[in-house]
Amino acid sequence: MTLPSASLLAQGLALGVLTGGLYALLSSGLTLYFGVMRIVMVAHPAFLFLAAYGTYFLHVTTGMDPLLTMFITAPVFFLLGIGIQRLLVARLAPESLATMSVLLTFALALLIEGGLGVVATGSYRSVTVDYASSSLRMFGVSFPVDRLIGFGIAAVTLAALFLLLRATRFGRALRATIQHRTAARLVGIDTERVTGIGFGLGLATAAIGGAVLALITTFFPAAHWGWIGKLMAIIVVGGLGSIQGAAIAALLLGVVEGVVLVTAGATPAALLFYLFLFATLLLRPQGLFGGRLAERF
Amino acid sequence: MRQVVGPLLLAVVLLAGCGGTPEDPTAGGGESDNPQATTGATPSGDPVRIGISLPLSGDFSEPGSGIRRGYETWADAVNAEGGLDGRKVELIFRDDASDPNRVVSDYESLITRDKVDLVFGPFSSRLVIPAAKVAEQYDMLFVEPAGAAPEVFEQGFTYLFYAAPAIASDHYDYLAEWITKLPADQRPKTAAYASLDDPFAQGTAYGLKENLEKAGIKTVINEVYPPENTDFAAIAARIADKKADIFVGGTQFEDSVGLVRAFQELGYQPKLAAFSTGPTLPEFDEAVKGGSNDILSPTGWAAESGFSGNQEFVDRYKKLFKAEPNEDAANGYTVGQIVAAAVEAVGCAEQGEACQGKLADHIRANEFDTIVGPLKFDKDGRPLAAHMIQQWQDGKIEIVLPDSEVQTKELRFPKATW
Amino acid sequence: MPNDSDRAVLLRRLLFVAGAAVLLAFPWLMPNSYFRYAGVLVLMYAALSTSWSLVGGFTGYVSLGHAAFFGIGAYATALGVIELRLPHVVALLGAALLTAVFAALVGIAAVRVRGASFVIVSIALVAMMNLIAQSARGLTGGSSGLRVPALLESLDRTSNHLVFFYLFLALLGVVLLTWWVIDRSRFGAGLKAIREDEDKAEALGVPTAAYKVFVFGLSAFFTALAGGLYGIWFGNLDPIFVFSIIVGANLVLMALLGGARHLLGPTLGAFIVVPAGEYFLIAFGETQAHIVASGLLLAIVVLFMPDGIIPAVRGLVRRFRPAATSIREQSQEELREVRR
Repeated sequence: MTLPSASLLAQGLALGVLTGGLYALLSSGLTLYFGVMRIVMVAHPAFLFLAAYGTYFLHVTTGMDPLLTMFITAPVFFLLGIGIQRLLVARLAPESLATMSVLLTFALALLIEGGLGVVATGSYRSVTVDYASSSLRMFGVSFPVDRLIGFGIAAVTLAALFLLLRATRFGRALRATIQHRTAARLVGIDTERVTGIGFGLGLATAAIGGAVLALITTFFPAAHWGWIGKLMAIIVVGGLGSIQGAAIAALLLGVVEGVVLVTAGATPAALLFYLFLFATLLLRPQGLFGGRLAERF
Repeated sequence: MRQVVGPLLLAVVLLAGCGGTPEDPTAGGGESDNPQATTGATPSGDPVRIGISLPLSGDFSEPGSGIRRGYETWADAVNAEGGLDGRKVELIFRDDASDPNRVVSDYESLITRDKVDLVFGPFSSRLVIPAAKVAEQYDMLFVEPAGAAPEVFEQGFTYLFYAAPAIASDHYDYLAEWITKLPADQRPKTAAYASLDDPFAQGTAYGLKENLEKAGIKTVINEVYPPENTDFAAIAARIADKKADIFVGGTQFEDSVGLVRAFQELGYQPKLAAFSTGPTLPEFDEAVKGGSNDILSPTGWAAESGFSGNQEFVDRYKKLFKAEPNEDAANGYTVGQIVAAAVEAVGCAEQGEACQGKLADHIRANEFDTIVGPLKFDKDGRPLAAHMIQQWQDGKIEIVLPDSEVQTKELRFPKATW
Repeated sequence: MPNDSDRAVLLRRLLFVAGAAVLLAFPWLMPNSYFRYAGVLVLMYAALSTSWSLVGGFTGYVSLGHAAFFGIGAYATALGVIELRLPHVVALLGAALLTAVFAALVGIAAVRVRGASFVIVSIALVAMMNLIAQSARGLTGGSSGLRVPALLESLDRTSNHLVFFYLFLALLGVVLLTWWVIDRSRFGAGLKAIREDEDKAEALGVPTAAYKVFVFGLSAFFTALAGGLYGIWFGNLDPIFVFSIIVGANLVLMALLGGARHLLGPTLGAFIVVPAGEYFLIAFGETQAHIVASGLLLAIVVLFMPDGIIPAVRGLVRRFRPAATSIREQSQEELREVRR
């Protein structure tokens, strides 16, 4: 076993950063659900693939650019998110919410997977557009264009989300709800409404992520299982409930994954997420950046 | 209110679940193009009832339905010619959802509950071993279309036969021979291997690897990735970094596409590229957007071949399904041909060691004319012929090896850029 | 009303004896081997689901990852027989103990977190074990599978099903007995206190961490026994189907459907879900609608009857009966109906 060359390491690093951006976008959705409702949304990756199929079918039937489809899927998913929160999640008894919500969203994931299987069969799909199948070469490293686009979209979406949370009245209300629901209600925030919108925003990130995913990889109905563990590990490492924490953990794990992938292979790279998860729980259960929130949930 | 609604809804679900006897899966299914749908249980007697479990849903549903159509084409042909040993053929399909628990459950119920006269094999090396075990323990002949991995034949099964030209590790034999015969100055020096963690895919790639290593072609990288892997950029980067002359992929469809696309993006151009399956499907060229040129694959069957009954198979398949047959369907048809020949020769088709043992002995001792060529088996059920090598040339699949009457074009080397 | 409760007790005992007799006779009543096979599956899931409810029912901690312990038990038993040449019984017990220790170690990390994080850990555990079992080809055979030597090579398949039917029945009996004993013990009271309010329980002096780790290990022990038996019975192990989140979720579904806080709840759940699953696959197997059916069932249980059938039926009966009559007796009758 020779040492990996510098260019290979650089390549791994580059791919890791680009993938980490997508992880950051997707884990921001999970963090939102957890923040506003204290629930773990197991179906998030399933919605991601639902969106990818949406992109695929819109692209195939109307010839629409796959990136433009997110302007249709994201609003639909936003409303869907509000609906799911109001009609399903809000019905669960508060004392067992944490665990029952996992099972409920697990059921949603099965429904989506089975539904996609019925409608679209189990075969693999992919969306290929000419502008995305080349790559830029800089400093001896290839940057695939589809991943660059994906990273850019993730960055823009996250920046917009961050602005929304930091600079708007609604954002303040959302953050207040995340921090202390009762206190937020006391100061006159309509926490029910805020919660629904928070959920909708989370699902909208899945729609955007799905369009990106459709562009960069092949997918099939059962593909979401591979993502659940990874994304869950990221939000625990980042600290449950912290959007910045999740974003930083996503980039960190993405980069480490990229480097391990090019040096040691696919299986160690996949295991790495779980090692980080267990190490975090043992050494710093609140996560790298989480506050006291995580210890209790 | 909630307290009442819940149990009521549940009662409805349970009633839907338990009411009445389960209808026959082939009769109630969504596919209307099923010419041999059986209805209910017929008393064992006149028709020859053949039980089959296939992955009609789940990860392997695509090849599963290909094989199903092959079986149906065969049954249609046999019935058109007066049946099997004078008896009509009925196929009973069960879905196994690509799950070994289901596959065992299916064969268990087909053999002991439905009391079928014969069984045909399921799809995928991963499912064949548990299924073959059930057949073995109930003394049922088990000719199968898809369990090609070397491990399948090391389990001591006496009723199992693989109905294709060669087992996985021998699929590339003609290609290995061709490469090693190249003049020294043209012969590639290094090879890279990447394989899906699957007994069949690894079997094919490592069969070639062994032969190339023996010929002095150095292995510079050997990568195995788990089945759930969909991101091939990093794996491709590792391989591209070594700039190997030959790339060999132990692949199914989606990963072969993923790897080609990732190589395109990284600008890695090997002199020769071979993939187990993926390029064998007609969709491959479209999926890699014209990057298919000169890619090689082993194949057990060619649409144009003149082997016994091939033209009839292709015509009948097209008539029944309004589509082009593929290798999976051909393998299913081959299973039918072999079993039919054995039944006609032995003169029985019923459960019990007396009949099934004779059928197995007959298959072990004889050679069979099939649409993939003449087939003979060793004592463990391994077929003793060889796979052909196909190559994509300008959007068409051509047979390039062996250099005999099946060859349609010369092998092109070194390969064009992708 | 001493009379009524006496009668209820008597009825309950009669019912128990009748149920046990039917179960013992089941393999002999069945017309063919397939039903024996299905019977083994039902009992295995009943044992698994009851083992799960030792954690899920008593403490309220929902683990989606019990398939990890199932799989470790199965692989460790198989490897004990193959590599160490141990007798099957020794390998089985050794594997179960090993799994229990492993679970306790995981538990030490896992019990520091509650609710949501605990579920995440349990999902991660299954995914991780799957990856390890797939990659450790030399030991586990990886994706080619591992062939497990049979208990008695000379036994034919039908008789093998018979043997394992009774083995799984015995295992189910032992797990049920354990559940019953814990339910009536101080330990059990402590576990239930954790479920109701962990902070208060701790303040009242319940050693919550130790209790949780212990019961986690105990649950894993029985789960691993079922896994080991499965391996020997089935004869072939494949990582992606042994370490499956779906299997873990099915256990939870069975327990919740029947009633995770009731002795026979998970068993009842298994008696419904396994046959229903077989039916869904036969009826809708041509498409992936059977996955939709499973998801729908899970969603209905979670939304409308999170406490399961047993309390739901009791509640229903109470609602339609005048308060004066004996509620217990009626509910037992109802129960019997459901169990049929």
